[in-house]
Amino acid sequence: MRSPIRIQETGESAIRVIGSSGDREADWRVVHKIARAVTTPGIEGVHSAIPTYDAVLIEVDPERTTLAAIHAIVQAVAGEIDPDEPLTQQPREFVVPVVYGGEHGEDLADVARLTGLSEEEVIAAHLAPTYVIRCLGAPGGSPMLDGPTLPVPVPRLTSPRTHVPQGAVSLAGRQATITPTAAPGGWSLIGRTPLSVLDLSEETLVPYAPGDILRFERIDERRFAELAGRRLTAMETAP
Amino acid sequence: MTASIRITEAGRAAVTDLGRHRGPGVGLPVNGALDQYSARAANILVANAEGAPLIEALAFDIAFVPSHDVLIAVTGADMLVTVDGVERPMWEPVPVEAGQEVRLGDMLGGMRTYIAVRGGFDVPELLGSCAPDPAIGFGTTLAVGDSIGLHARTGVPVNPYFGISLFNFGVDRPYFGDTACIDVTDGPDIDEFAGTAGLLFEAPYRVSTRSNQVGLRLSGVLPTRVGSGEMISRGVPVGAIEVPPGGELLVLHRGRGVTAGYPVLGVVTSTSLDTLGQVRPETEVSFRRVSLERAARDARVWRERLDRLRDRVGTVFSCLGVTPAGMERAES
Repeated sequence: MRSPIRIQETGESAIRVIGSSGDREADWRVVHKIARAVTTPGIEGVHSAIPTYDAVLIEVDPERTTLAAIHAIVQAVAGEIDPDEPLTQQPREFVVPVVYGGEHGEDLADVARLTGLSEEEVIAAHLAPTYVIRCLGAPGGSPMLDGPTLPVPVPRLTSPRTHVPQGAVSLAGRQATITPTAAPGGWSLIGRTPLSVLDLSEETLVPYAPGDILRFERIDERRFAELAGRRLTAMETAP
Repeated sequence: MTASIRITEAGRAAVTDLGRHRGPGVGLPVNGALDQYSARAANILVANAEGAPLIEALAFDIAFVPSHDVLIAVTGADMLVTVDGVERPMWEPVPVEAGQEVRLGDMLGGMRTYIAVRGGFDVPELLGSCAPDPAIGFGTTLAVGDSIGLHARTGVPVNPYFGISLFNFGVDRPYFGDTACIDVTDGPDIDEFAGTAGLLFEAPYRVSTRSNQVGLRLSGVLPTRVGSGEMISRGVPVGAIEVPPGGELLVLHRGRGVTAGYPVLGVVTSTSLDTLGQVRPETEVSFRRVSLERAARDARVWRERLDRLRDRVGTVFSCLGVTPAGMERAES
């Protein structure tokens, strides 16, 4: 059964495709599958696809294709997609060690206050889920996650930081992420991982992809120092 | 010995190209030359592929000395170009002998000047592009004393008449003035702004000093969002016009983060993005609403001008026995 989509004009070199079934999970799978399908070799004129939660922005080279041609391609590939089939058959699993609070998570106390919880309760809520990596965000391939269950969404900072360090573990709204590279940011910092995420020598830059699984693990300062600079890699999976 | 240029005055300049088109799929902005027309024209004038690495110089003086005879072309923002003190034209190929100093100064209008050298620069690439990405610390920015290697040493057409332009190809030069008119197509979220979207087109805006390759901030009468729900993050195109909290209009350019949680009111056309790559702080910008068909037609006109230029350059260079290698429309 084909899942419904909507195509929106977004300037002369891009279109936005929205999954409109109303089923959040199915829409997410559909837009990511469309992204994969239109960026496979053989599809002429597509620069890139940026799939997120319910939508994918497809950027084209207007010298090599037309918006009408891309509309037709999207309709054709969408028709082939089974929205119920998992996005990734065998998701990889990543475990991210985190030191919470203190200098590594300067906003933990504020997040606790704003959500009416204790700091330990915020940490426990953050550690509880097995997260699905929903999409890659800026800067540099941040893994975008559905945030932990908190009583209220975490507001964005009223004055964004000019410098969020590499490895920052943060929350905003009902989302969570890790910052692969130092950048400005308006999310609340609750902790930091010592692992290095971004690898410019790799074609994918980051070790994970949408559909993979991620968990957080609490560590202390001593362990943070031991792990500093090591790379985040997928867990070995049992055969 | 490999040919190179040695930087003798750096200003604020970097080696770039037409952008990292595979970047957005993995969370990196496309980046690359903010004025794509001028960058492409510079490469065409020296018979390089349009996507060959070239220098983008921002507003300040820059100077360099080549190790071998080279052919260069300077396009973009108006600057005084001299070779060993003798004024040379912009928007034309200019031969430079080994050891001569090329100096660019006195920028009069615009913000970004492009310098292409025949052969193109040999610099590190990431995902098929050398475009700097300050967010991840990638790129070749220029400092005094740096040597930047050139790909193959290639023939330089000889100009037998010292001091006279080698050729005059009559390139259509963009105009960089104190005001700019920017074409915009409707964004996918224009309804979020209900009746206030039209404010964008009523009165001019002023470019703030807090503008860069990520985006331009402009002050003026702002459309206001009617919906108030938290928007879910979505991919955002280069050229997106947003109204984030903070009292300024934001127009995203090629360094933009690839996802954002603000509604997209409009999208600046590709030809007008080049213009925005050249506007200075305090410039008065008016927005004009155009159809997608109009935007595509303007892009086609722009493309045809470059194609004609490439044909003329190719013909002349072939006649002079210089192989116009890499004259294909290379895309990164």
